Amino acid sequence: MIPAWMTKSEASAPPKSGGAFAIRSLRSLGGVLARLKVQRGREGKRQLPALLRLLLLLVLVVLLSLARSRLLLLTLAALILGRLCLLPGELILGVLKSALAAAFLALLLFLPAMLLRPAGIPNNLTVVGKIFLSVTMVNIFNRTTQWNHVTGALRKLRVPGIFVFLLDLTLKYIVLLGTLLRDLLTAYLLRAVGKGRREYRSVGGLLGVTFLRSTELSRETWEAMCCRGFTDDYKGL
Amino acid sequence: MPLIELENITFSYSPAEPPVLREVSLSVEAGECLALLGDNGAGKSTLFRILNGLSFPQKGSYRFDGAEITAALLKKQARAKRFHQRIGYLFQNPDVMLFSATVWDEIAFGPRQLGLSEAETEGRVRDCMALFGLEPLAEKAPYHLSGGQKKQVALAAVLALNPEVLILDEPLAGLDRKTGARLRELLTGLKQAGKTLLIATHEPALLEGLADRRIELTVEA
Amino acid sequence: MHIPENYLSPVSCGVMGAAMVPVWVHAVRRVNKEVPKEKIPLLGAAAAFSFLGMMFNVPLPGGTTGHAVGGTLIALLFGPNAACLAVSVALLLQAVIFGDGGILAFGANCFNMAFVLPFVGYGIYRLLMGKSGRTSKARPYIAAALGSYVGLNAAALCAAVEFGIQPMLFKDAAGNAMYCPYDLSVAIPAMMVPHLLVAGVIEAAFTVAVYALVRKTAPDLTYERIAEAPGKDGLKRRIPIFALIAALIAAVPLGLLATGTAWGEWGADEIADVVVNGKALGYTPAGLEKGWSMNVLMPDYALEGMNEVVAYILSAVIGVALLIILFKLLSLALKGRRSDP
Repeated sequence: MIPAWMTKSEASAPPKSGGAFAIRSLRSLGGVLARLKVQRGREGKRQLPALLRLLLLLVLVVLLSLARSRLLLLTLAALILGRLCLLPGELILGVLKSALAAAFLALLLFLPAMLLRPAGIPNNLTVVGKIFLSVTMVNIFNRTTQWNHVTGALRKLRVPGIFVFLLDLTLKYIVLLGTLLRDLLTAYLLRAVGKGRREYRSVGGLLGVTFLRSTELSRETWEAMCCRGFTDDYKGL
Repeated sequence: MPLIELENITFSYSPAEPPVLREVSLSVEAGECLALLGDNGAGKSTLFRILNGLSFPQKGSYRFDGAEITAALLKKQARAKRFHQRIGYLFQNPDVMLFSATVWDEIAFGPRQLGLSEAETEGRVRDCMALFGLEPLAEKAPYHLSGGQKKQVALAAVLALNPEVLILDEPLAGLDRKTGARLRELLTGLKQAGKTLLIATHEPALLEGLADRRIELTVEA
Repeated sequence: MHIPENYLSPVSCGVMGAAMVPVWVHAVRRVNKEVPKEKIPLLGAAAAFSFLGMMFNVPLPGGTTGHAVGGTLIALLFGPNAACLAVSVALLLQAVIFGDGGILAFGANCFNMAFVLPFVGYGIYRLLMGKSGRTSKARPYIAAALGSYVGLNAAALCAAVEFGIQPMLFKDAAGNAMYCPYDLSVAIPAMMVPHLLVAGVIEAAFTVAVYALVRKTAPDLTYERIAEAPGKDGLKRRIPIFALIAALIAAVPLGLLATGTAWGEWGADEIADVVVNGKALGYTPAGLEKGWSMNVLMPDYALEGMNEVVAYILSAVIGVALLIILFKLLSLALKGRRSDP
């Protein structure tokens, strides 16, 4: 009953490359899922309420973007870096990594402009600085604020309940579908032991299955909502 | 020399949590069949992840066929692919293993990866489908099959790669009695063909006469 | 394609955000009509799927990888209006939770990726699919490929224009750019060349690959099937086409604004700079800088004595008309092949 080829061991000489897309997707997906998990319980006890923090972030982002005077910029820089230095080391590292990456990219992009038009250099450098500061700010916010507190803050801001519900649901689905996609990619990598032929077909399969599951999830959620007495009234959410 | 050798491995998912596996040692000879028992949360799936090179122990070592399996080793694509070809893994949830448009394509994925010709691929796919009687499902989408059928397709797809070691996580869960008996027969055949089997299960009776050894993982009090 | 904070002026960000409001309102109304009940879970699932799709690494020849946006794909699967809302939610989460794309630039990012991309992509798909129910096997895939390719490039063009008008509109007293320092002559080729050559192709391959699996596995789940269910009015089918035209024409005022100031303010030395710049960077074919003036492409464009604004609008209308004609011809050619056997 066992076919003959199965009784011999397989001699395969796999190529050195291939499958990079799956490895990289797995890595970025892992990052997102870890980030969403870490979201729970990272919040310090003596922090401003999430609502205030969100408003403060928005005000600062606008202020930074509008700022023209050196003095104001320096004040903002001092404020933001001052807040950053109060965080634990591992958080600072994470924040700085993304902020420096963004600033470096901007510097690289602006380099030709600066070389060709030296008169514009102060302005260009200001923009790079602003990019660094705003990325730092957003990162400080999202690494120290729990998502459910943000949605709570949005509710207090009178953002319609239906929209907040949608955001919460989306995050839940990102975790559920992201976990599925992560497992699919893992299982794919265990079987992708050879040449990377037809890789696009696999991409279609991996994401296609994720899509099918997403429609199933939405239907199931809807049915579960109905079973618990939901009657098309999204306003009460 | 044992094919699989775990030496005092300790593993935890994060430094803050207590380890899932503590000081586990295990050695498996080629051709052996090992039943792995244990309650939910005892670390069976974690152990399997380590054996497949998906997680790496914080302490202790894992040697496969004499070579120590480390994250650095599996960074080398060619080594990693060869390693994964030699170990076949049936996930507990078959849903995560199926991503092709048809059952045929799903099973053909492995042989195509191995660089076999289309004729050889076709032969292998037919053989693997015959093992489970999957022929009528060949053109169906795996996504729409029932849980038990998915499990059979996933196992057929793993077998098409012809691995030396088969690691099966709850292979009997979700199968009806007839299919279960058929699977048992198949596993006996695979053992006779010289494959090494590691099977996690909650139903030890079904492995009667098949498993050479039983290992039980316990949850620490 | 995600525009980060501070590349655009806060004013531009505000304008783009305001432009999105009617689009969102319209999309919410349509979604309400199309999926009256389970809309919220559906949008949540679509947004999560969109988020994951944007994170997915797609293989490129030579072992490297790239990213797709997937806007057209989402429109093909969930419908363009649901796609608009879903991609907006995905972009919002990316900006706020993951710091990807600016918070102020959210409106601009939505305009490019949640509005222009899915509507243009889906509109072209529908145009190429024609009205008939039965089609050849390859046709939906060709239509999806072209739709996603053009959709992505239309979005990239919008982003390029948004970047490019910054130095023309926002300068300090000394004439130095305050935000993005590159004007249209640099921004457009710098954005478009990589998108036309690489990113657009990735987007098309990605869209076709996923769409193919879904069509094979669960054809009733694609939006097209849902939209074609009996009892739907004929007008609805044409809406994506209207949206496409609207999107194309929407670019006109931006262009007006840009060219108007640009030609007025450019000194000879600056033009020289731009040319040198292009060469130095190596991504601007020498002809393109001149080409942008349109005088080369369309010598009669600025008719003697005619108001430049009127001329611009006219040429925009002509351009749009030419595009529509092109697509109709393409769709005709495809139809012909089907009935040939």
